[in-house]
Amino acid sequence: MRKPRLSWILVAFLLAGLLAAPVSALAEKPVKMGFVYIMSGPFSTYGQFAKQGAQLAIDEINAQGGILGRQVEAYFEDSTGKADVAVRAIRKLVYQNGVDVLIGLDSSGVAKTVVPTIPEMKTPLIITHAATPDVTGSLCNKYTFRISVNINQNIKAAALLAAESQAQTWSTIGPDYAFGHQSWEYFKKYLKEKKPDAVFLPDDKVAFAPIKTTDFSAYITKLMESKPDGVLVSLWGGNLIDFVRQADAMGFFQSGTQVLMTLGAATEVLYALGDKMPEGIWVGTRYWFLGNDTPQNVAFRKAYQKRFGQFPSYNAQGAYAAVLTYKAAAEKAKSTDKEAIAAALAGLTVTLPVGTITLRPEDHQALTDAFWGRTAADSAYPIRILKPFKVFPAQDVTPPADTTGCNLR
Amino acid sequence: MEAFAVNLLNGCSWGMLLFLIAVGLTTVFGVLGVLNFAHGSFFMLGAYGSMQIMHLFNSFWLGLLVGPALIALLGMALEMGLLRRVYGRDVSYQLLLTFALLLVLDDAVRIIWGPAYHVVEAPPLLAGSFAFFTHSYPVYRLFLVAAGPLLGLCLWAFFRFTHWGKIIRAAAMDRDMAEGVGIRVPLLFTLVFGLGTWLAAVGGALAAPHQSVGPSMGERVIIESFIVVVVGGLGSFPGAFVGALILGLIESFGTVFAGRAQMALPYILLAVVLLLRPRGLFGREA
Repeated sequence: MRKPRLSWILVAFLLAGLLAAPVSALAEKPVKMGFVYIMSGPFSTYGQFAKQGAQLAIDEINAQGGILGRQVEAYFEDSTGKADVAVRAIRKLVYQNGVDVLIGLDSSGVAKTVVPTIPEMKTPLIITHAATPDVTGSLCNKYTFRISVNINQNIKAAALLAAESQAQTWSTIGPDYAFGHQSWEYFKKYLKEKKPDAVFLPDDKVAFAPIKTTDFSAYITKLMESKPDGVLVSLWGGNLIDFVRQADAMGFFQSGTQVLMTLGAATEVLYALGDKMPEGIWVGTRYWFLGNDTPQNVAFRKAYQKRFGQFPSYNAQGAYAAVLTYKAAAEKAKSTDKEAIAAALAGLTVTLPVGTITLRPEDHQALTDAFWGRTAADSAYPIRILKPFKVFPAQDVTPPADTTGCNLR
Repeated sequence: MEAFAVNLLNGCSWGMLLFLIAVGLTTVFGVLGVLNFAHGSFFMLGAYGSMQIMHLFNSFWLGLLVGPALIALLGMALEMGLLRRVYGRDVSYQLLLTFALLLVLDDAVRIIWGPAYHVVEAPPLLAGSFAFFTHSYPVYRLFLVAAGPLLGLCLWAFFRFTHWGKIIRAAAMDRDMAEGVGIRVPLLFTLVFGLGTWLAAVGGALAAPHQSVGPSMGERVIIESFIVVVVGGLGSFPGAFVGALILGLIESFGTVFAGRAQMALPYILLAVVLLLRPRGLFGREA
């Protein structure tokens, strides 16, 4: 008997393919979301956690019938923490993958370069982590929104805490780029307003370490030599882990100095440090998984922990929340047209695990609460938790819209 | 005085860590003539490898002993499988190959251990700190200050006095002649590459209790170790030691006294040395 020729088998496959095709053609075209986070390098944990949060949100939405009846598809790109790479990644997502919305951005440096290129792509961008005030200030535009806490909100809360403390003289250690310097500038400004007699060490006494630093001993020595009563720490990620361990070994936390870590309650950092994170330190965050017991937060916390084995970090919540925010905007606009989405996002109020936020129409910054707490040990948790936990309401820490320098007209 | 002493210790301990990394780099260059971009990745693998062993057997010292040895075996396998094929070719092939290795190893680490940061404990013997003037200073840092010169001395004695050390130096000086008198140079190169890898991995294992272990921790040290090697003189042993010490001290004192100019100091040092002594402080004339 003659064997069937290979070409015939191929034809059979093609036909089978044709049979299957009409089914997918009948379904509506998916909603495409493009995510840009740091997926490699020393800060890659943040990007990976964001990706997990985004995947969880998308799977939940798809299981419940999608957005406006359409399934959601995700595209992830690595910004590598570099502005030019992020701009290329965003162009690829918009022009090649044809995404309906952009979500992401970890670094303020990256955000400052990316945001001015967004109007030319006419695609809404939801920022979930980068905190520089400029992207909802002097650089704001019609398509750019931020659902996370910005430097003003985070640092205003820090200044309110600092004003309550006994500390009189303040210094800082931060990363040597816009974020570290802006954190210090705003801290000085806000604390001065609350406590006019506060003293700030001059520029040659404060410490700004390059991101690539792994040995902070010289900076720690410098801080300890100048003997401030309080120190604002704006390091984050691996830098913060290295700093905490080395400072602890050098007795920095035992010296009675008041320490405020603006991003210290990131679970990326808390999981790595475990019981090496000193107790009684004030740490700030954009979201805390035990921050509230609303049904949204409890459901998110449980689902995330079940699937990934850890409590969600603020970056995971950020990406998760951005997907929900987009869904709310699409339902409000009854469309996924990019202009309609941008219009719907402005002024949108949405309830997320972090709480209820409103995207201010004047500058597109979310009115969202700022969170701080003191690290404390609890045998029920593998990491330090926050006790007491303080919520600074959005209206107390957000600067008025007419002072941000944003002009959307 | 007190601040001076603390800064001195800071600089020395960081410098000695740099020395361990740079000395492997310079040995591989001196003998094989290969500028190994992937050296920082072996540093990272050393940290991860010893961390894994430490977790399995709950012993820092076992991790320090076994982890780097395993990475050295990996290094030798890579030399035999890949690097050996490009010795005869243009230098750009070596650079491209070792750079590719760096990318592959970095991603491999991310796949195996995930992107999260890890923290490694110092052994009980070296944990804690001691009173130092009015400061307390970590014991582990002093251990680093001592470990660097000790290992350096062992290496120096090995190259200077042992049979194998002499063979390696002979092969470094004149490969063809060494082959002519019956030395199996390919095997020797594999062993030397293994040694260089081992040194980087030991550096990683020793750095682990002192900083966080995470992907691309190697990329952050490779630039500084290149500066050390060039300042000290490519292929020079004492050069790596002195270069590392200078760089460590410049960075620690620069942080305190130079303010923001501190970031530029290592590069200024590099430029000055290249202008005045292009072969580095201890470089031999070609």
